[in-house]
Amino acid sequence: MQTISTADFSTDDVAHAIHREQPGARDLAAMLSPAADTMLENMAQRARTLTRRHFGNTIALYTPLYLSDYCSGGCRYCGFAADRQRPRRFLNREERKAEMAAIAAMGIQEILLLTGERSEKVGIDYVEHAVREAAERFHAVTVEVFPMTSSEYARLVNAGCTGLTLYQETYDEKVYADMHRWGPKRDYHARLTAPDNALRAGMRNVGLGVLLGLAPATAEIMALAAHLQRLRRRWWRAGFSISFPRIRPEAGGFQPPNPVDDRMLVQIVLALRIYFPDVPLVMSTREAPSIRDNLAGLGITRMSVASRTTVGGYRPQLSADNATGQFQVNDDRDIETFTGAIRARGFWPVLKNSDAVYRDTGAGCPAQQR
Amino acid sequence: MSDLLILGEHSFASRLLLGTGKFSDVATMVDAVQRSGSGLVTASIRRFNRENRDDDLFGPLSRLPDLFLLPNTSGAMNAREAVLAARIGRELTGHGLVKLEIHPNPHHLMPDPIETFTAARELAADGFSVLPYMPADPVLAKRLEEIGCAAVMPLGSAIGSGQGLATAHLLRLIIENSNIPVIVDAGLRAPSEAAAAMEMGCDAVLVNSAVAAAANPGAMAEAFAQAVRAGRRAFQAGLMGRSDTAQATSPLTAFLAR
Repeated sequence: MQTISTADFSTDDVAHAIHREQPGARDLAAMLSPAADTMLENMAQRARTLTRRHFGNTIALYTPLYLSDYCSGGCRYCGFAADRQRPRRFLNREERKAEMAAIAAMGIQEILLLTGERSEKVGIDYVEHAVREAAERFHAVTVEVFPMTSSEYARLVNAGCTGLTLYQETYDEKVYADMHRWGPKRDYHARLTAPDNALRAGMRNVGLGVLLGLAPATAEIMALAAHLQRLRRRWWRAGFSISFPRIRPEAGGFQPPNPVDDRMLVQIVLALRIYFPDVPLVMSTREAPSIRDNLAGLGITRMSVASRTTVGGYRPQLSADNATGQFQVNDDRDIETFTGAIRARGFWPVLKNSDAVYRDTGAGCPAQQR
Repeated sequence: MSDLLILGEHSFASRLLLGTGKFSDVATMVDAVQRSGSGLVTASIRRFNRENRDDDLFGPLSRLPDLFLLPNTSGAMNAREAVLAARIGRELTGHGLVKLEIHPNPHHLMPDPIETFTAARELAADGFSVLPYMPADPVLAKRLEEIGCAAVMPLGSAIGSGQGLATAHLLRLIIENSNIPVIVDAGLRAPSEAAAAMEMGCDAVLVNSAVAAAANPGAMAEAFAQAVRAGRRAFQAGLMGRSDTAQATSPLTAFLAR
């Protein structure tokens, strides 16, 4: 990808970028540059119009289920990293069933299943079982697990998996090598190409993301945008979404080298919305209620709700002895409170936007060819 | 004098169809539907939520009097999914009128002509009155007519784009050649565009985003209703011809003996 220095942009460049019919990479860079700082309101106006046009007054909701905190990875920034001294657990079949029931009881129809990096206890067989169980209960089942081969992803698709979330964490190879100290996750390229494996296997949706705070944010977002562009030209049937989690305080006490403040986070959301008018932008409960509520419909169209980031967190008796999550949840509102806040802002919190009843799984969804 | 829109075995007084996605809440949606005067409102089967009434489109719409609920297959990726969705829609509503929508790309939402044709053929053979959402392709329109569709629904421009009648010249060809109703679906932003479509000879228009994403959806629904009526009336009245030059009252060739 060509390198664009963001220092060279003027407010005129930003103004031009905001209102172009099809903004290019240079326009995205302008909107992420320091020159855009004084133009945030203009960007917000445009972003709101585009969001409304493509997504209407709706916010799609999902809830994560942490299946396991076993991990073979050595990510410096993660509370689940293999060298952290902590009790580990994974949910057995009965526990998964109970957790899923607790989530379904909230009215949630889309679930995100999470694990750590591939480990002896939690591998493809385990994830496949969990997906199959979830697919009996939820209309959409996405996974945020370890990178897999195409044939492994095909097993998940056949089991009813509708989407993959896989963050590159950082697109900066040097920073990546420094942050991921050992284990399979050290392989930058294996992670980068895993979405292609999933899409080749017929996965319908792929969520990309960067972990904001690791490398300088502008270059990260530019690289993420280029990655998404490449994927969507190749896998034209797939849906894509983008997340940009900020590093939160967690068990290891990691201090991010390139922290992103609220203002920059908002600038990123607005710039991405203007650049990708029709791509869902996702925000989890890592962020505080004030940020989440204000960015709903201003760019963000998909949100997690009532999340527990501990294994077994949806039933108090299980979470009590395992109180440290992967990261600290900053928005701990229950579903009624959160959907009430979203409604008060004029948005329909959509719990069901797909239907498993008439969905082809695996073999029926044409494997995407090029 | 009655001027009804006939779709299969059903007839409707209003020529405005309303989509129901993208509204902020049930009350706003219901208000817009009522003020639109539309008798035919479409909802996606994927937004049927029997487990959570607050999130269900079908419940509140089916309780409105004099409203015909048209299920659509939006979200279906291919013909097989769409056919199954249509059958579920028939079970839910008790009638066989279905809006067939197949868009394999969830971002631009352009209809897949091949899968749409395949599904339409199967559904028509199964007794459905099929209303296929389609690209503004005059040949595809005739092919869909041949296999027994009750109407065709070519797009004015991309869903939610607000680009209006970007396909106007193709729509004219479709209208000129069609023996079944032509309903312009998608892309309209302003009531004037709905009026223009009706003046052109479209039989009806369907709007969703233009109403749902308006600052005042109920008022915008009323405005579209008026525009559709005006456009229809103008079409029936017969628009005068268009000319690039003024038409002299005293013709320049009057001296020629006849």
